[in-house]
Amino acid sequence: MITQAENPILEIHDLTVSYDQNPVLWNVDLSLPAGNLVGILGPNGAGKSTLIKAIMGLIPPTSGFVKIFDKPLNDVRARISYVPQRESVDWNFPASVLDVVMMGTYGKLGLFRRPGKKEKELAMQSLEQVGMAGFSKRQISELSGGQQQRVFIARALAQEADLYLMDEPFAGVDMATETAIFQLLRDMTTSGKTVIVVHHDIHSAMNFFDWLIMLNLHLVASGPKESVMNEEMLRKTYGGKLNLLTRVTDLIRQKDFNPLKG
Amino acid sequence: MSFDSNAFLIIFTGALIAISCGFLGVFMMLRKMSMTGDAISHAVLPGIVIGYFVSGSQRSLEVIIGAGLLGILATLMIDWLRKKARVQLDASIGITFTLLFAIGIILVNILAYKVDLDQECVLYGEIAYLPIDSWITQSGLNLGPRITWLAGLNFVFVSGFIYLLFKELVLTSFDENFSAVMGLPSKGINLALMSIVSYTTVSSFESVGAILVVALLVVPPATAFLWTKRLIPLLRLTAIMGVLIALFGYYLAYWIDSSIAGMMVTVAGFFFLVSAFIHSKKPSWLSGTSASTQPLELE
Repeated sequence: MITQAENPILEIHDLTVSYDQNPVLWNVDLSLPAGNLVGILGPNGAGKSTLIKAIMGLIPPTSGFVKIFDKPLNDVRARISYVPQRESVDWNFPASVLDVVMMGTYGKLGLFRRPGKKEKELAMQSLEQVGMAGFSKRQISELSGGQQQRVFIARALAQEADLYLMDEPFAGVDMATETAIFQLLRDMTTSGKTVIVVHHDIHSAMNFFDWLIMLNLHLVASGPKESVMNEEMLRKTYGGKLNLLTRVTDLIRQKDFNPLKG
Repeated sequence: MSFDSNAFLIIFTGALIAISCGFLGVFMMLRKMSMTGDAISHAVLPGIVIGYFVSGSQRSLEVIIGAGLLGILATLMIDWLRKKARVQLDASIGITFTLLFAIGIILVNILAYKVDLDQECVLYGEIAYLPIDSWITQSGLNLGPRITWLAGLNFVFVSGFIYLLFKELVLTSFDENFSAVMGLPSKGINLALMSIVSYTTVSSFESVGAILVVALLVVPPATAFLWTKRLIPLLRLTAIMGVLIALFGYYLAYWIDSSIAGMMVTVAGFFFLVSAFIHSKKPSWLSGTSASTQPLELE
């Protein structure tokens, strides 16, 4: 079940991505509307991270193409922001929290130019937004997992982009932080930004996202939450994991279910 | 003790080389590429020999270009073996530099009659001969030791490179994917760093040799990293250690009448072991990795 958006902010056409001749994503074809909080759901190994890496050109596609803001990627890099998986970097790196957040401003600065007062203010403002302003001088090796994640989100905010792609920003984050970050993402979409989040928790996905992409090597569904979150789509996405599915469908039936109250 | 200008020149040159290598070594370490520096320092040999053969002089631009090209070739080969042929990083480094170094040795042997170069010179170098190898202009003006000039020029290049590309080097070292998404030329910056490491290796091989260059690339940054987790102090500490090992290295070598370069690296190794020992005894709260988590609060 694939709903195409009108005036899409992101279009993916017949995208196939392979590692060593083994395709890990087949024929993905979708488009996304602007100003939405978009979740990418799927089991482990479904190609969720691969999809966003292919969107950003980190992995060259075997076939197909991606258009962002109706333009090729290279023309719009300054309007795209990326939050990689927390484990993808070495947190022992000698840098302070502020140093890392300032990295978000480097794209607009260009080669050779140094970040100045303006960039520093922007970075501090971004840190405030994620509630980490008090940590700006702390070395990143001294942060907890949830704090690292917030630093990465602050760095993305400092990029002042229009499209944000986040790879598992909620992995290893506690419930209170998760809710707060979701609230922040919600505010961003309200102000017209588009946020795409790779996510693995179906329960919270139902509560938070506007638009869902369900992936299992193939594209199973892409559309507004109400139209794609049903048993058939979940079964197609997650396969025959019945235990899980019955639990999830039970949850769907309880319309007022809120995992945060439990 | 009276001022000994030869001792001063040797220590000064040794310190310049140690600081240049240390600065580059900090970034190599942060990129987890310290051993790639090792590979480069050996892999440049065929380039040196070919450059020497082409130009007929050990001091020519061709030698530096040859070495630079070979350094880049070694980097690309390691990268290719790792990513495309799926060889483990340590194995691909081991294969690349031994192969290129062996080719270099064969070239030295084949061209032995035309090239005044031997393995000893390339591997060990001799900084003690520095004061008698002066740069004399055609008009007969003695400008002082040639190797000191080389080391100084190299130091200027390395510092300039790091100063100009500081933020790019830091970002690509910390998070390469992120910089690629931003459109920073991370591959280009990486190759530029490898070229300047190759150049540093060449300009230092006469004085400290290919093996000891590796030690100067690896040991001072690793030692400094035991003491600080901040980048600028890390660079500063690396530089201070460069000066100290040149100073102690010279006087200890003078005292027991041995190789200066060898003694410099021995001193560096000693500093590292002492630092590691002190660090291992340090109570865990000093390194403190587990700060308490404060819940995030938003309006």
